[in-house]
This record gives sequence, C-alpha cells and structure tokens, in this order.
Amino acid sequence: MPITILPPKFSHPPPPPQDISDSDSDLSSDDGGAHLDFASLGLPNRKPNPANNPLFTNLVTPGTLITPDPQWMRGHGTYIPPHTTHITSSLAGIITRTNKLISVSPLRARYTPEVGDLVVGRIVEVQAKRWRVDVGSVQLASLPLSAINLPGGILRKRTETDELQIRTFFAEGDLVVAEVQQLFQDGGAVLHTRSLKYGKLRNGLFAAVSGVGGGSGVVRSRRQVWTMEGQNGGGKMDVILGVNGYVWISKHVEQVAKELEQKHMGITNMEENVSAGVYSSQNDPIDSDTMREITRLRGVVTALVENGCRVDEDMVIRGYAEACEMAMLSETGPEDIYLGGQRGEELTRALRGN
Amino acid sequence: MADRRRINGPPGATMAPVFEDDAGQPEIKNGKGRDRAPNVIRKTFLKTGVTPSASGSAYLEFEGSSKSGVSGLKLSCTVHGPRSLPRSSPFSPHIVLSAHVKYAPFATKQRRGYLRDPSERDLGTHLETALRGAIIADRWPKSGVDIIISIIEGDQDRETSKSQGDETWDMMNVLSGCITVASAALADAGIDCVDTVAGGVAALVQDAGEDSTPRIVVDPIPSDHEKVLGACCVAYLPTRDEVTNLWFKGDLPASDAGLYTQLVENGIQASRNANRVLVECLGEATS
Amino acid sequence: MASSQHVLLSPAELSYLHSSLSLTPPLRPDGRSPTQYRPLSAETGILPGTNGSARICFADGTEAIVGVKAEVEKTKRRWDDDTIFSENNHHQQQQQQQQQQQEGEEENEGRNNNDEEGGSSDWVELTVEIPGYRDDDSGTVFLGQMLSEALLADGGFVKRLRINRRFHWKLFLDILLISPPLSYPLPLLSLTTHLALLATRLPKLKSEGDEDPFFDDDWAAAPYLYARDPATKRVAERPPVTLLVMAVGGNIIFDPSKEELAVADVVLAVSVGDDAQGKGEDRMDVDGSNPGRNLKLLSIRTVDPPSRLTPPGVANAANSAYGHAQVVNTGANQKMPEARQTESEAVEGVWKPPRGGAKAVVMGALVQKVLVRGGVADEVLDALEGVDTS
Repeated sequence: MPITILPPKFSHPPPPPQDISDSDSDLSSDDGGAHLDFASLGLPNRKPNPANNPLFTNLVTPGTLITPDPQWMRGHGTYIPPHTTHITSSLAGIITRTNKLISVSPLRARYTPEVGDLVVGRIVEVQAKRWRVDVGSVQLASLPLSAINLPGGILRKRTETDELQIRTFFAEGDLVVAEVQQLFQDGGAVLHTRSLKYGKLRNGLFAAVSGVGGGSGVVRSRRQVWTMEGQNGGGKMDVILGVNGYVWISKHVEQVAKELEQKHMGITNMEENVSAGVYSSQNDPIDSDTMREITRLRGVVTALVENGCRVDEDMVIRGYAEACEMAMLSETGPEDIYLGGQRGEELTRALRGN
Repeated sequence: MADRRRINGPPGATMAPVFEDDAGQPEIKNGKGRDRAPNVIRKTFLKTGVTPSASGSAYLEFEGSSKSGVSGLKLSCTVHGPRSLPRSSPFSPHIVLSAHVKYAPFATKQRRGYLRDPSERDLGTHLETALRGAIIADRWPKSGVDIIISIIEGDQDRETSKSQGDETWDMMNVLSGCITVASAALADAGIDCVDTVAGGVAALVQDAGEDSTPRIVVDPIPSDHEKVLGACCVAYLPTRDEVTNLWFKGDLPASDAGLYTQLVENGIQASRNANRVLVECLGEATS
Repeated sequence: MASSQHVLLSPAELSYLHSSLSLTPPLRPDGRSPTQYRPLSAETGILPGTNGSARICFADGTEAIVGVKAEVEKTKRRWDDDTIFSENNHHQQQQQQQQQQQEGEEENEGRNNNDEEGGSSDWVELTVEIPGYRDDDSGTVFLGQMLSEALLADGGFVKRLRINRRFHWKLFLDILLISPPLSYPLPLLSLTTHLALLATRLPKLKSEGDEDPFFDDDWAAAPYLYARDPATKRVAERPPVTLLVMAVGGNIIFDPSKEELAVADVVLAVSVGDDAQGKGEDRMDVDGSNPGRNLKLLSIRTVDPPSRLTPPGVANAANSAYGHAQVVNTGANQKMPEARQTESEAVEGVWKPPRGGAKAVVMGALVQKVLVRGGVADEVLDALEGVDTS
C-alpha cells in the first residue's frame, strides 16, 4: 500500500479528570484570580502534591509569581517587576533551581549555545574572513578563518591567499562539525574546528531534529559522537549528535590509521595528515549494505523524535537493535527499512516497554 | 530586471526595425479549417540582434492562419546579462536565470493590463524550466541573466464570437514561440548552452463535420478546429535528444498510452522543425 | 513557492543521496519504498462556514487546509442569444406569460445550445497561499495554475456548477498551507483539495427552470457537489488528483521529499482523473477485488528540478585544500577555480548537477508508472475513498 491516510489523532492526551477538579478547588478559594498554589509557598521545587500530575507541578507561564522571597537569585526565563522583590516567570516552562539561582527552562525553544557544545552546522554565508553557520540557534554562529586548521600543517600563518581561497575550505551548503568556543552577549556563538574530530562532513546522511522540546530531541550527554557496528552486513557507522539537534550519520572511515600506515609517519605529523581529507567534498565508495544501515539508523533517530523520545547514545543504539529485529520479523527481511508512521510508533513503544 | 540603469546604450546609432504593412501582400484565401498537412508547422520568421541595446535579442513571427482576421504570433525577446548579481543577493555557483513573459495590452482580443496576470507568470515559469535545462549554468557563477519577452501580437482569432477555452490552447502556442525566441536571444547574447532548445506543439483535434475522427496535428490553431481534445508543448534539445519541458493538458484515457506517446512524438517533431529555423537564423546572423 | 528555491545541501550529501537513490531498489533517506507516500492524517468538514473543507497533516507538521465557498452569480450571455433574456428582464411583470414562451424556446433551443451548457472556467477561482511567499510569486502561481488546470481540464467540473441558463455557482477554492513548506507542497495541496471538493455541498435548489434561483434552507438536504450513489454511498465520479513523481538514476520515485528533489533528473506533476464512464459494470461484478479504475490523463507539467541549482562538488584531485601539499597558487588553473571545476569529468563520489533535459522515453515511463492499472494513482484514489467525507 503506497499511501496510508489516518484520521487525525490528539497529539497530547487530555489531562485526567482529577486534575481538573483539583485546580477548580484551588481557584474557588481565591477571589477569581488565576493564582497558582505552589507559588505562594516560596520554594520553587517543593514536594509535588501526589494528586497532581508531577509533570505539571513546576510548570509556570509568563507572569506567574515564582517567589516573593528576596533570598533567591533570578536566572534565565524570569524577571523582577519594578519596586518588588518578586521573581516572576517570563516563559512557559519548567522551574529549575541551581543552589540559589532560579531559572525557567522553556518547554520548547531553539537551541541556546553553550561553550564546549559539539554542534553540527551548515554554512550559509561566506564572508571575507569568516563563515556564518546555521546551528539552529537564534543567531547564526560564526566560524572565523583563524579558527580552522589550514591544510599543510596547523602552525602555518594565515595569508591573504587563504582569505581569497576561503570558499575552497567551506562553501555555502557544506556541513561542518565544530565546537562552540565562545559566546557573544547577543546569543551568537563562535565556533572552532581546531581538532582532528572536527571539520567537513561527508559519506553520510543528515537529519535535523531541533526545536522539538518537551523532553524529546537531542539532549546534552556524555558522548555525542560514537562509532557503532552495522547489522545485516553493514560496515561501521559514525554517529554525530550535535547538541543543537542536527544529526549526522555516516560511514566510518579509518582515515587516521590508514594514512599513518601508508606514510609511516609519527604521531607528531598526525595532525597534518588528517587535515588532508578534512576539506574534501568527495565521498568514499560506500557499499549498499552500509547505505541501507545508515538509512535505517536515520529512520530510528527521526522515529524517536516524532514520538517524543529523547535522542542519546543509549536510545539510538537500543532503537537500532530493535529496528533490526523488527525488520527481521517483517516480510521483506532486512531490506525493510521504513520506520515512519505506525512503524515508528511500534518501535518507540517497544523501547519504552524495556 | 531590478536595475536597468546599468545597461549602457549602444555605442553607435541604431536603426529601429520597420514592420512592413500587410496591405501589399496578396489576399489570403478565406478558407475554413487547417490547410497545412498535419505534420507541417506554420512559416516562421526569426531574426536575432534586433535590439542593439540588449546583450542579446530576437524577434519571432508566425504566419497567420489562412482565415482572414487571424493574425500570427509576434514575439520580441531581449536578454540582459550575464551581469553581476546585486550585492544583497546570496552567493550562487550558477547563473541566476529569470524569465518575464508579458502580453502587450493590445496583443489579445481582450485587453491585458500592465501587471502580469497569473497566466503570464505561469508562462514565465514554464519558460524558465525549458531554458534552465539548456544553458550551462555553472559557466557563469555569481551572475544573473534576465530574459524579457513581450508578446506584441497574440495568436488569436479576432472574428469568432465564441472564445470557449481557446485562450488555454493559445498559451501552448505562445509558450513554444517563447522558447524558440528566447533560445535564439540567449545564443545571440553569448550564453553557453548545451544545445539549441526549441518549442513545439502538437494537439489532438476534432474537426467540424459528422464523421471526423480525432487526429493529431502539429502547431495547431485552435480556431481552425471544432474542438481541441488535448495538446502538449515540448521543449526539445535535438542533438542530445532530450526534453527540458513538457506541458500536457487535455483529457486522454489512461488505457490508451499510445495516444500520449504519439502526441509527445509529434510535439518533438514540431520542435525539430522550429529548431531548423532557429539554426538557420543563427547561421545567417554570423554571415 | 518555487521548487527551485535555493536548496542548501552540501555536495557530499547530494552525492550520497544520488548514489543511494540510484541503487536497485532505491534507498530513500526516510526508508520509504519508491511508491510510498508519507503517512498523513486527513479530516473533512472542519470549517462550518464553508460549503466544504478538508485538512491534511504530515507527520513532520506540514499541514494544509482547503475551504470551498460558493456564490450564486449571473451567467454572462453570449451576444447571439442574449436577446431572449433581455426581453425576459424587461417584462418582469409578465413573468407568467414569459415563462411559457421561454419553455417553448427552450425546447427549440435545447439542441442548438447543447455544447453551451459546459460553462466557463471563470466559474472557478482557485488561490494558493503559502506562508513566507508572496501570492504573486511565480512558483505559487504555478502551483495554483497546475491545480486549477487539472480541475478544469475535462470541462466536466464546471458543468456541475450550472444552476440554470441564467445563473451558476461561482466556486472559490482557497488553499492554505499552514506551515512553511518543508518540501514541494504539491501532493499535499492536491490531496487536500480533492477531499474538500468531495465534502462540498451546495444548497438544494427549490426554484425551477430559468427563474431566479432560490434554495432550501435546510442544510441537511443540501446535495453534494459530487453526488453519492444512494445504494452504496460511494462517490460515483471523483475530482482529479495531482501526483508528484521524479526519476533519478533509473529509478522512479513518488512523493519525493526536499532532499530527494535536490538530486532529481526530472520531476513531473501528473494530474489524473477517475473516468466514471463504464466503471459501473466494472464495480458491480467484482466489488471486493477492485480491478482498477478507468483513469484518464488530465495534465502533465514539468517541475523545474532544483538539482540544477545545487553546488557542484570538487574532486580531491582538483581540490587545492586537499592533501598536505603546501598551498601555493602558482598554477594557472588556480586563478579560476570555478571554471576548472565544471570541466572536470565525472568522478565517483563527487556531485555534479545535471545538465540538459530528460529523454522523452524516461518521461513516458514516469507517466506510464502513474497511469498503469492498479498502480499508484489507483491506490491513492482508493485510499482517499477511505476518508470519511460526509
């Protein structure tokens, strides 16, 4: 069947009835104001009332009074109205407390860069001495020419020639993996690719899963980059989960070891060797089995996001194993890589069940 | 189109083209219906370099119908560029091609306004598709080219009272003319093309009369026939044997695939004929 | 919205996509089979203020809404028969008498004016609105023209809008894309329009003949624009659907996503109608095992593939930033890197935007794949039939 048309479904189940009655009684005790109960208690993360849905306990909307107590410090997502000490929420989100700092993290927002984040970005503009990179954030990030490893050794001085040839390193549309080096006041980030693991991306597929929020999507975790074994005859695959929600899945290339072997060079020259391929836009030959597994893995990532799961190393690896199992059980065997719609729901249900 | 001030005028004096009066020509016979063989296109006049101030230009005229009161199609095309893109536009590794097709207000029976209406924009999109396949766009990075076509006289029967749906079929003829004339103007402007693209139209028509069966003709004039059942306009590259734009409209049963194939083949044939005119015209321009 | 809007994909991605889509069977980035559509959810009758409406969503959040509104409009007379009616207007008070006279005339004129009952394409006004694009953007206009072209192609649709010789319905189809387009929205808009038209009802006519029309107030009595078979509750004839189909490296792919379009060799939009004639007996004997519909081809348009505007890749051999050779630009060819790139012949793994057009045979194969009995167009129409449109 090439097409499935379903009746529309509710994206969020309606809240259970006891919640409504509970909030009703709260409101009736007040004089009609939309006043939240826990705010008056002063402590932002008090023990949740068991009758309440714990998910909604710390949920605030813009203008909600979080605490009148001046001992707390206001963080992101809050403000203090003039002539008061009341910390008030300015976002719809969940209250988080770090020591004395109260902040509200929004339910759904664009990526906010932080120093040290590993991001995948797309070059959208080439300027005289820098690139402007889309990282799914409020502002375009910038990647200065001085923050990349130039071919022919890292310790070379940047010349005007390099400036003129800036498009030979990265051009519009190219995907890069980079690290956030520095932040501007306006939220803009400065990136760098001064490491072996950063640079131009090739041999694979891209998936953007940013801006979903609500606990799904890519979360900051211990490992954002890993190599995993492909099933069904596929080779090794590299997965890069950019903190910004841009994901890159590609064939694993043993470039470092191979080149070292070929050229019999020492570890000191490694940097130089690796940079040989770093600005290439030519794909290596990829066998169809690996391509299939890369596509399957991309399907796992998009299915996780579509069904509101978080995307991290553990989930992706488990999801991939589950997807392979599902494929084995289906009629077409491992050739079956479709994970959209109901198949994706099945997959995430199986993962949640574990 | 944005900045026409940058185009400098020609260095020398120019001569405006003179259109000869029709009166001197012998009276065309007042027949009804098509008098050409089904696989013959109308006589076409094509000339390049008619507008010296543009980088490239061409003028195309189709002969009118044998019926009196039906004027032929008259198209004038100017090409401006390649020229540098404005600073604000993003980097492009290719030439940025934009096509504007405009009927002159007096070109059709019903007066057209000065703003481009949806059908004119639609023609522009078709034309862009047809030409994008023909030009070698990566020869000219960071540059743009504007193709402006004015339809000086539309291909319409001014005497028939009924105008049922003829405009839609006329658009096909106009598009094929636009493709051919733009191709000539592009060549005149010195923009690299893989091949000369030319347009051709074929239609499945039914003639008046009780016992007439539908037949396929090339380069149809809608008013010559009782009913047009379907038509296709093809932009074709003869030496590469490739189609860059195909536009079909009509009502064909899916079970008869041969009919569709025949229609497209006839369109290609019409386009080959137009291409001969085009090549000859470009050859003449150099001599 | 132009299909050829700037697609920002890196040459390495394009090369990967092209080679994976050229495999047999092709590997699509989202794992679909070549003929598979993205899963979608649909509902009709969502807007009570319209004569008919529908909404379709894709899983990625792309959503389209179509509202159909109808107005009664006076039919413009042709010069050769307006004498009858001007007379009619002048003698309103003698309506009774006139009526009889007119009936007589109708009998006489009945045969002569047969072809005239077709109506005019002005009776349908179709607009497409896409957020982020001007409504006079040539791409948006192209989409609108394509959809209305399919609807008007066989002239059968406007016949439904005829009330009598003096009046007709004017139908306004407003097609709205709610979210910014993540892919070329043609299939989405076409399917939504199809459902909205199926759900469209026009008030029941109470007046007779050529008198000024007046209608039944009861909405429940309003008949559907596309009449249902009273026995089977099935729609006898259905509005057209437009399918987007592309060819890449010998494979034919339906409902392509943005990434897939970026490497397409040729993209066609094929509009298909369901021919009601002769279907009756087909349906009768084999109700369970549907042998396929009598499809008819209504329109084909070439959609400009955005692949021609993609950036070319640079082979390692020609890349000055490749290798650890000291970067010096002494060579003459370094002066014009772009020119050099274009002339390099095809290298495996390096993306090269396609040039030229497509073979007529390939286009024919695309069309054939759509139209073949029991093929994709058939199955799409079957799936649309499953949507509740009452």
